[in-house]
Amino acid sequence: MGLFALVFLCLYRAVFGPGVLNRIAAISAIGTKTLVILLLMGFIYNRVEMFVDISMVYALLNFIGTITAAKYLEMKGEL
Amino acid sequence: MTRVTDDIIIRTVARVFMPFIQIYALYVIMHGHHSPGGGFQGGVILGASFILYLITHGVEDAKKRMSELKAGLLSSFGLLIYSGIGLLCLILGSNYLDYGGLSTLLNVIPAQARSLGILGIEIGVGIAVMAVMFSVFFDISTGGILPEDEEDLGVNK
Repeated sequence: MGLFALVFLCLYRAVFGPGVLNRIAAISAIGTKTLVILLLMGFIYNRVEMFVDISMVYALLNFIGTITAAKYLEMKGEL
Repeated sequence: MTRVTDDIIIRTVARVFMPFIQIYALYVIMHGHHSPGGGFQGGVILGASFILYLITHGVEDAKKRMSELKAGLLSSFGLLIYSGIGLLCLILGSNYLDYGGLSTLLNVIPAQARSLGILGIEIGVGIAVMAVMFSVFFDISTGGILPEDEEDLGVNK
């Protein structure tokens, strides 16, 4: 339950945060927390081996998305 | 236009990660009928590895690994595998994509033929999705204009 509250704290930073970099970092943190929540759901449903696959893909796409957003900002010269 | 970054951390991480991402994508494709995943999801992961390479190493290096022409050919090739297996089932006397008909050709029982047929379909879908993902990202990042065309068209860099 604590993780859900932390997700909403990060969401506040992502919506109202000053600057684009804060938002990117907040969205990346939300992605990481979602991954942990997915794994905990796997333990609840007793099918961890399936949820590990999903969470690995989630981590990978989160990583690539963050890099792409940072690259886009560098290209636009906003840093 | 995606430039070449001089950030050594990002470049090294991308270069080290790429084989592992691709191995994982192959696992998702091959293991798709026992666990979440399948052809489309594995193809997306496989395409993501090439997109990561394009982002970190720039368009010029990425074109040496996977050019636009190669991506177009691969997407057609994946579709050819898919529809080829489907038509093969049709020729062998069963419905389209009914893999049980492959059992006479592969000389196995129909259950095994279904398992092998769906594996072939997933490989075809994976190749097609990977190539289409990469070519969409490639076209967006270059704006449809390749560096060698810019001199011909007189477009300012």
